[in-house]
Amino acid sequence: MFVLKPQSGVPIYRQIRDQVRRLVASGQLAPGAELPSVRDLAVRHAVNPMTVSKAYSLLEAEGLLERNRGRPMTVASQARNSSHLSKRLQQVQPLVEQTVLAAKQLELSETDLLKSVRQNWENGDE
Amino acid sequence: MNDMAVQASHLSKSFGPKRVIDDLSFEVSRGDVIGVLGKNGAGKTTLLELMLGFTPPSGGAVSVFGHASGQLPGGVKSRVGFVPQQDELLDQLSVADQLKVIASFYGAWDANLIERLCAEWRLDPKARIKSMSVGERQKLSILLAFGHRPDLLVLDEPVASLDPMARRQFLEQLVDASADGQRAIIFSSHIVSDIERLANRIWILKDGRLDWHGDLDSLKESVVRLHIRGVAQVLAGLSVPGALSQRHEGAFATVVVRDWTPARQHSIEESAAVEVEVESLGLEEIFLELHR
Amino acid sequence: MSTVARLVYSYFMCTPMTRALTLGGLALYVFSLYVMASWPQSEHMLAFAAAGQIALFLGSAMMPLMFGRIAQSKAMVLLPHGRLKLLFSALITVAIIAAPAGLVTPFAYVAGNSGKFSDLSKYPQLRDFTVNLGLVIYTSSCILAGWLYVAMWFLSSQRNMAGLAKGLLVIVFTLFLPAREIRELSGTIAWNLQALAVVWTIFGAGFLCWPRLRMVRAWWRLPDLLGTQTSARRTSGREVDLILGTRNPWLMIAALTLPLVIASRIGTGVPAVWLFFLTIFSTVTGAIAGQAAERSRALWLRRDWSRAEIFLQAERSFWRHNSVVLGVLLALMVMIGSYSGLPLNLLAAGIPLLVLGTVLSTYLGFMITRGIRWPEASLGIAIMLALMAIPLLLEAGNANLAVVCAIEGCLAVLAFILRSIARRRWEQIDWSQCRPAKVLSTRQA
Repeated sequence: MFVLKPQSGVPIYRQIRDQVRRLVASGQLAPGAELPSVRDLAVRHAVNPMTVSKAYSLLEAEGLLERNRGRPMTVASQARNSSHLSKRLQQVQPLVEQTVLAAKQLELSETDLLKSVRQNWENGDE
Repeated sequence: MNDMAVQASHLSKSFGPKRVIDDLSFEVSRGDVIGVLGKNGAGKTTLLELMLGFTPPSGGAVSVFGHASGQLPGGVKSRVGFVPQQDELLDQLSVADQLKVIASFYGAWDANLIERLCAEWRLDPKARIKSMSVGERQKLSILLAFGHRPDLLVLDEPVASLDPMARRQFLEQLVDASADGQRAIIFSSHIVSDIERLANRIWILKDGRLDWHGDLDSLKESVVRLHIRGVAQVLAGLSVPGALSQRHEGAFATVVVRDWTPARQHSIEESAAVEVEVESLGLEEIFLELHR
Repeated sequence: MSTVARLVYSYFMCTPMTRALTLGGLALYVFSLYVMASWPQSEHMLAFAAAGQIALFLGSAMMPLMFGRIAQSKAMVLLPHGRLKLLFSALITVAIIAAPAGLVTPFAYVAGNSGKFSDLSKYPQLRDFTVNLGLVIYTSSCILAGWLYVAMWFLSSQRNMAGLAKGLLVIVFTLFLPAREIRELSGTIAWNLQALAVVWTIFGAGFLCWPRLRMVRAWWRLPDLLGTQTSARRTSGREVDLILGTRNPWLMIAALTLPLVIASRIGTGVPAVWLFFLTIFSTVTGAIAGQAAERSRALWLRRDWSRAEIFLQAERSFWRHNSVVLGVLLALMVMIGSYSGLPLNLLAAGIPLLVLGTVLSTYLGFMITRGIRWPEASLGIAIMLALMAIPLLLEAGNANLAVVCAIEGCLAVLAFILRSIARRRWEQIDWSQCRPAKVLSTRQA
């Protein structure tokens, strides 16, 4: 379910958190779906369980996950709805930043970039 | 109930004129997994031996579960497991006999766990230790420290001789051991990727001092590489406080800083009219930059 | 050739101690020439030369170990003509060690016959004779030195009972057989050279072909009759002994018995030397305590003992082991001695001698908590010399009995002092500076 890269500059807890957010936002993790337990996830990826636990706690605080006594964490039933526009935009934000910066370095204009984006959008719809 | 596994204040150790450990103060709580990084000769082994009472400190004090390391009572000793850098195996014994000998020193020995791990790690109980390879000896040394389910596990370069698969198995076992959050694990290693996976706190030992001791996550957020784009003359005169290294080529500059906070990005961009892009670094890069 | 020269140089000069011994030995030899010129025919004329020879030999004592290590190293395979050069270096070392004895012989002979050194140039016949004598001594010394190096190699490279047994066997043979010869000066150059040639050819051929002969090695290991491989059933309750290496006294007894029996068969004719051998054996018994400190490391976290208690437990463990060996040695001494008809007073005096040998070496071994340094080394040499002196004094006549008792009394007191020093050291022991030596792994992964 997750792809974790411990060597990346991004801390592991953030990788987990971002990936859960994306999966929930895209609907791949439906409300009520069970996530792997802290221990299972930690052992499978050979990472520190406290890191996993930290990610899960942060997600719980955000309202994305629900803690159930004696059972693994599940996706909160309100999750999909509370993931409104601004939150979803937040997911794409880093990618947008990178693209804009690259475009500026290549000395492309704003119009050029938007044209490319529109083209990709239309191609993706086919 | 003392929650502190290890506590040290102003710990130092000298061998003759040479100061190997210089004024260290730290705390290890239960549930911590601490990775100790440092160049060869930085004092990692000495630090671990100081903690457990193998060597007396020249200054300061260190205690384990509330008791001074030099005078650990039996109850505390049985809660500690240590894997030394040089194994202490008895060559003439077989694997099973070596395990039995060490088991006899402890009241609570988890024979099931040991049996399972022997099978998983492919250690033949009947093999003679003197005919085992270095990797197998290391695996056995590690097993000897697990059997009595210690609350504090200290490992000195435990995976130096293990192949990647054995290393992964060992890591999984450590993860399992730390999963309940009740154990404290301290291990020193050169293999940064292992520490990156497993540790939640990092100690970087440099010239006998703790150059960094804190969360791994904070470390990664605190030591970053900045890619700065701006006017060449401005960049040439740019000084970033806390810079570890700086490179400047025309309209681009690359600066590695420590003690970074996101707020600083804004302030640099404002004050110098430049564009700053922040790149996070892996632990190995961070270690290299800190030692530049 | 420069490789060979560099090797030989490092054998003699590798550590400050060996440097001091080599240079000191040479100086003593030179001084002995002066003594011979100024005080000819004096009783102790040869003492300086003897001391010089011992020092010189000790200075090169690292040679067998270094030789063995280099021979086993991977670099040996890559070095062109590596084994040949190594062999040459050993040959040259032996030649160098034996040289001073041969060189000094003409002068010693002349001085011993109250002549002057200038006589050598005046009387060609004398010169020829003494030069011939010198060559005999030189070649005999070469043989002797060669075997002593072999003995040292067994003792220093194989840190187990099998190595001990082999080393002691070689010492028995080398010191008894040639000793008799040198006493009677019955050797000839031709015989010596032949012996040298044969021995070195065999050794050289074996060494150069060693990589191919390795399968033959298996038979040279002592069989596992004595339970060198231990099973858990036999060790329960004695885990501490296992860790300290004192589990099985019969191993050591076996290692000592064969050399002892052989020494007794060929040596009881010279009671002092035979007793001296027994003393060596009794000190070897205690010497394993030299590993006690480094091995006790494994007990720190495993037993509820403070450092002081660890000392007491280790002491107890070693005495459980050493007393058995000492008992067997004493019994053998009395049995063999009375069977060979040795004088009773010699046997009676031998008992405290052996006991002292074991006790002193045990506590000296315990004192080694930071490696062997000058104090421990010189104490060891002094103790050995004192113990050596006793059989010689006893043989010289009963008048010396008082002196012998005095020496033994002092040694007994010394034993108590060594124990308290050892105890104090263990109470402060710093295991960072007391690690087991890394033994070369015999199996490649």
